[in-house]
Amino acid sequence: MTSGPYNYSYIFKYIIIGDMGVGKSCLLHQFTEKKFMADCPHTIGVEFGTRIIEVAGQKIKLQIWDTAGQERFRAVTRSYYRGAAGALMVYDITRRSTYNHLSSWLTDTRNLTNPSTVIFLIGNKSDLDGQRDVTYEEAKQFADENGLMFVEASAKTGQNVEEAFLETAKKIYQSIQDGRLDLNAAESGVQHKPAAPGRPLAAPPAHRDNCAC
Amino acid sequence: MNHEEILSVVQEKFLSSELVTAFLCDAKVLRPDCIKKDRLLAIVEYGDEKAVFCLFTSCYPPKSFTDLSIEIVLPIDNSFKCEIDNKPSDPEAILYLNLQSRNNKFKFEIQMTPRVDNFVDDLFRGIEAVNKLPTQPEFVWLKKYDGQKEDDFIAQTMVLPRSGMAHTQVSAPVAIRESLIKRKMSDKEFDYTFTKRFTIFCGTWNVNDKSPVIPLKGWLCVDKEPPDIYAVGFQELDLSKETFLFDQTFREDEWYNAVRTHVDPRSKYVKVEIVRLVGMMLIVLIKEKHMSHVRNVVCDTVGTGIMGKMGNKGGVSIRFDLHNTSICFVNSHLAAHVEEYERRNQDFRDICSRTRFVQPNQLPKAIKDHDQVYWLGDLNYRITELDPLSVKRMVNENNFGPVLEWDQLNQQHKINNVFAGYTEGPITFKPTYKYDPGTDNWDSSEKNRAPAWCDRIFWRGDNITQLAYRSHPALNISDHKPVSALFTSAIKIIDEEKYRKVYEEVIKQLDKMENELIPQVKVDITEIDFGTVRYLELQVRTITIKNTGKLPVEFEFIKKLDESSFCKDWLIVEPYKKCICADESCEIQLKVLINKTSACKMNAGTDKLYDILVLHLYGGKDIFITVNGTYQRSCFGCSIEVLVNLNIPIREVPVGKLVELESKRDQYISNQSTYSIPKEIWFLVDHIYLHGLKEPNLFEQPGLHSEVLQIRDWLDSGSIDPIPGSIHSVAEALLLLLESTVDPIIPYNLHPVCLRASTNYLQCKQIVMDLPEFRKNVFLYLCEFLQEALQHNAENGLDAKTLSTLFGAIFLRDNPNVVQEPQSRINKQIIDKKKAQFVHHFLINDHSDLIFTK
Repeated sequence: MTSGPYNYSYIFKYIIIGDMGVGKSCLLHQFTEKKFMADCPHTIGVEFGTRIIEVAGQKIKLQIWDTAGQERFRAVTRSYYRGAAGALMVYDITRRSTYNHLSSWLTDTRNLTNPSTVIFLIGNKSDLDGQRDVTYEEAKQFADENGLMFVEASAKTGQNVEEAFLETAKKIYQSIQDGRLDLNAAESGVQHKPAAPGRPLAAPPAHRDNCAC
Repeated sequence: MNHEEILSVVQEKFLSSELVTAFLCDAKVLRPDCIKKDRLLAIVEYGDEKAVFCLFTSCYPPKSFTDLSIEIVLPIDNSFKCEIDNKPSDPEAILYLNLQSRNNKFKFEIQMTPRVDNFVDDLFRGIEAVNKLPTQPEFVWLKKYDGQKEDDFIAQTMVLPRSGMAHTQVSAPVAIRESLIKRKMSDKEFDYTFTKRFTIFCGTWNVNDKSPVIPLKGWLCVDKEPPDIYAVGFQELDLSKETFLFDQTFREDEWYNAVRTHVDPRSKYVKVEIVRLVGMMLIVLIKEKHMSHVRNVVCDTVGTGIMGKMGNKGGVSIRFDLHNTSICFVNSHLAAHVEEYERRNQDFRDICSRTRFVQPNQLPKAIKDHDQVYWLGDLNYRITELDPLSVKRMVNENNFGPVLEWDQLNQQHKINNVFAGYTEGPITFKPTYKYDPGTDNWDSSEKNRAPAWCDRIFWRGDNITQLAYRSHPALNISDHKPVSALFTSAIKIIDEEKYRKVYEEVIKQLDKMENELIPQVKVDITEIDFGTVRYLELQVRTITIKNTGKLPVEFEFIKKLDESSFCKDWLIVEPYKKCICADESCEIQLKVLINKTSACKMNAGTDKLYDILVLHLYGGKDIFITVNGTYQRSCFGCSIEVLVNLNIPIREVPVGKLVELESKRDQYISNQSTYSIPKEIWFLVDHIYLHGLKEPNLFEQPGLHSEVLQIRDWLDSGSIDPIPGSIHSVAEALLLLLESTVDPIIPYNLHPVCLRASTNYLQCKQIVMDLPEFRKNVFLYLCEFLQEALQHNAENGLDAKTLSTLFGAIFLRDNPNVVQEPQSRINKQIIDKKKAQFVHHFLINDHSDLIFTK
């Protein structure tokens, strides 16, 4: 069997950041396992998950680092921002304080990643609309002012979770296509995986000439 | 020269500690401006480190290492990247290897050979291995090849920064994943394929050195419907010496054209492949409409003739994939002569074991590795044990049964000596050998051999039905008659939509598996509270890491960004790195010990008993372990200046106050301070003065650690009870206290002057006179006390020399923060002696004048 797609061409590194208890690990779990983790313990450290997705016919392996949200770990988790191609910044729509801290998370992200890092704002727990403490419009305005992508999502129902991860990947992929993201930069957060030797793709991907070397 | 011989030549180019693990010949370096040929790529391993070398070969194959010169050296480090492309115009034969290391990129063109797989695997193993290393390898061993390189790249690239933490998870085991996908997909083949019947015509004819002077229609075109595939085999195409020796014959084209001309005209056929070895030729044709579904066509030939090598006997084979079914056709001509059936069995086994279909980037395939095998040819098995006459009689009466019982092939097949696992249809045609050419008459030569079914067709595989098995006696130019068989065989066809679905499932499964294979551990405690920690009192806590995953886990405590060590200097972690097998646990001890260095920092407020450790699992997550505790402040580790300003026990001093005092200790002057010497020193000295001057071995016998700790608490809490412990413990506490002060009694900057002046009492006196107020007080006070003690040397056994050595080392203690030049023992002894000499003056001379000068 020689035809058909296989394996991945890129590895993108993501980080998930935000206050404690906003549902970062649940978002990761929902994305990788398609399940809601009900009694998710606090992350003490940095969890790690992967999934292969497809963007524009390209298999992309996402390597996702889910960081501890507790304030006392902030100094340590800053070490993990480096080399991230995508940053998912999460707040809880039912807890205003988590939204208020976004600017501090954003400052860290801007300072510790490179300019081409795609930052995606996620308002989690959209299933708890009755307890809403932050309006969609307000967050949307914050996102627009800061040039962030934005959705409200629910790690519980899975609503918009897939979209957030995929849209981030699309944006990163677009940056590669446009040449805005230099794959050779050590901090790009993207790796080009060597193609499987000797098995030419049915249709050679267009990106080869642009960025392979 | 074979691969191993070349390898040993290449290996000679390197040191014996530098192991050539893989190499590729016949590589080209592609540059924008030129192409360099005759290069050899080698992967060389030194310890954990690997590098790719490109060598120029002045002759090929290289006969000695002098034929090789190193042109390019690419260390496989974290910056190393490898990409492989096929040459668009010739994807099956040429690969492009793009290698990049430390901003140097090279493109190599390499020939597709089975060795490429090894090489590429080895390369990926190297890349994976380096990414698992905790630190960037240094590649010191490559420096010697520096001068030999063509480009000045090592110099500019040796300085590349190592990537920091969170970069360890780089290259997933790509090759493993690739093969897993393949295997999973083939396991699920039935989920995405359906079968369709194809008719396959197999023909075999030993043409006995004849040209195709008659039409072949009566052999190739006898069935109701045109078959989908033709596999036509010939033997003894050309018996001339030239063919045998040079393997060239015009008959190949003659017979090929004859076959092309006489296949069923109702369909259009195209050639899949043709292969010939001397007189054995195999042609495979397929209906044109199926050709686009034919892939991976490979042929091979095996000679089993003279010397077991020559091509007068043996087999030629063609394999290909039709849709999702792999098919192999074999045409063989086995050993001749009636009695030689063992030899024929051997030939069969040789053909099976030596036929190798080599495909790029796949393991070579053998005949047995196919879904369907069709084996045809002049197999040359005869009839034994029956006399020729009765054989002829019976076969002329079409009474084949009794004769076939004595057919060597039937006999050998039945006992699995040959064609094990293969099937042959029932034989209902006359023996095909041996006839007088041009007739249907049995061989009339003197040998008078029994006729035999030399020409046969076997098959192997599921879902194959033989529709016909026959000979074609009308084609009579040879001493053999042609034989043919028609099969209808189930070919697996891929349903693209289903395939995609199954593929996605497999990928998802692997994703899941990969996530499951991410190392998983359980750490019983991630917040460790040491509670109250006291000076010099070791505290130990244990945490347990249990490997709850499915694979062994290697953990290591790693450094945080911009920190030089993974934990604070008052913490000891054992072990800090280890591998834990699945379901096993590892206990890690965390020990806190506040010694004078850390106590000073704690008192000065520059450090707290708080740290976050990063426990890293290789290939997985990081766990933060928080270490916490409260340091109980102590007079140990304070500066003299602070101690003289404390009129209450140190434990009663508010936390901030002590930090504040330490921060401005340089500003204290005597008339504002509470005491002229620290009260703690006075308590200890006074106690010895009152109770211990006559104690034998004073200052020589060590105290008890537990009593020293009690004395510490007594001093720190300002107890009104008498000082606890023995005189020796008090003496030791005094020494420890003097040793723990933030800086020594005689400040570091004066040490060189002291050593220089050590032989001159007056100079020494001058130095002491110029000491900062409190230091001078402590110094002279202690010297007075020591002189007093020496008065009682008859009882306590002290002598001035011993005391001056002991206190010299304390008053003039070395600065731990200054990296000492590696001193020779003698040098160190000289310095220690000078320190002792300095103090000695003040133990034997009356210096009361100094005390009263103020």
